[in-house]
Amino acid sequence: MSSENRTGTGAERGSAARAAGAGLGRTGASSASSDADRDRPPLAPTLSDDTRVAIEIRDLVAHGTLDTARERFAELVAVHQRRAMRIAYQYLHDPAEADEAVQDAFVKAFGHIESYREAWPFEVWFTRILINGCLDRRKARLRRARWFVSTDVAHVADARPAFGGAAALDPEARLLARERRARLAAAVDRLDGRQRTIFMMSHYGDCTPREVGAIMGLKESTVRVHLFRAARKLRGLLGGQP
Amino acid sequence: MIFGARHLPEDGLFECYLAEHCGESLEPPAAEHLTDCAECRARYGDLRRFMDALRTEADSELDEIFPAERQRAQQQQIARRVEHLRHHARVISFPGRQPGQSAPIATSRVAHHWLGVAAAAGLVIGVGLGTAYYSQAPGREQQTVASQSIAAVEAPAPVAGPELVPDLVSSINEQFLSELELALERPHTSELVALDELTPHVREVRVKLR
Repeated sequence: MSSENRTGTGAERGSAARAAGAGLGRTGASSASSDADRDRPPLAPTLSDDTRVAIEIRDLVAHGTLDTARERFAELVAVHQRRAMRIAYQYLHDPAEADEAVQDAFVKAFGHIESYREAWPFEVWFTRILINGCLDRRKARLRRARWFVSTDVAHVADARPAFGGAAALDPEARLLARERRARLAAAVDRLDGRQRTIFMMSHYGDCTPREVGAIMGLKESTVRVHLFRAARKLRGLLGGQP
Repeated sequence: MIFGARHLPEDGLFECYLAEHCGESLEPPAAEHLTDCAECRARYGDLRRFMDALRTEADSELDEIFPAERQRAQQQQIARRVEHLRHHARVISFPGRQPGQSAPIATSRVAHHWLGVAAAAGLVIGVGLGTAYYSQAPGREQQTVASQSIAAVEAPAPVAGPELVPDLVSSINEQFLSELELALERPHTSELVALDELTPHVREVRVKLR
């Protein structure tokens, strides 16, 4: 995904709701001029391909040409599906639930496409929907956990069958990979809510700090600070080795 | 942590990583320093390896849990759901009058009368025939559909001769129904007493049969 095409993703709900802009800069946090550059409001960017397709779909739906709209929407699904699944899985650590979350997000995006405005790149708009859905699911899971015997996240991930794959690895390698991933997931879960979301958006969602800022309504410099702290904490928790 | 003025601080190194990760160019002073300072270059290498490993791990995990065929299936599911999304709920017309049809007139009312009379006659004839049939064959009451079905479930394979089967079945039925009744009799709920009184009990039926 080119940096022009990419534009932000979801966030913790409160921040996402008041999402505003972010700056442009690309240099070190120590520079005052760079900060000013970063923290200025979002540009009226040149529309990305996805955004253009989304606008087209919105117009098609408005004119009742639903079949064509669905065909065009399938293109967007194909482009964003994998990234969406990566984000959802990192949030939920459950293949089936991540699958549902991604499906729901796409269906909701199509259902509300008429409310889409090109002020937001499609990717930003869609990822907000996805992350809000994931956060809702996490909350629901916590509510359920109050009533049922709690299970370790790693054990849940182990117990749930994946959709396939993993056959290529031998059992020992699979076990080691599982342990490594469980350790990693536990470390990411120990980041605080905002840090975790920012880290996931940036690292797993392929968003630039500017894009994350646009989603969360934070300054780009703030996003960079959160990212740095998240990475430092993860390195500390994982002993420098994931 | 700052490693003296000569070395890049940790956040400076992370900025370098972010710039590289996002496809941006490094700040010239930082880039120059990384070129000149082996220690910072090594620290930067460690940081980059760590961050890249996190990402690689996530990607390989995703490949495992979400292979290509699963992606296709998900696309199809999304397409199906999207297809149903904007279909308005289908209103099924109530059988009888179609929206454009006029109200039925007097002829249909006559037909309704005949229909009622025929139904009543059928009921009377049915009750009469049923009574006559059962009064001629008193042993048949035991062979109800319910008892047959229970017997089919409860009775073991008929190893005994055919003449033993009715007795065996009836005793099993009685035992089963009695157990049921006992179980139901235990907790008496005051609200259900009236209903209970209206319900025929197995022992009463048994007495009548004998």
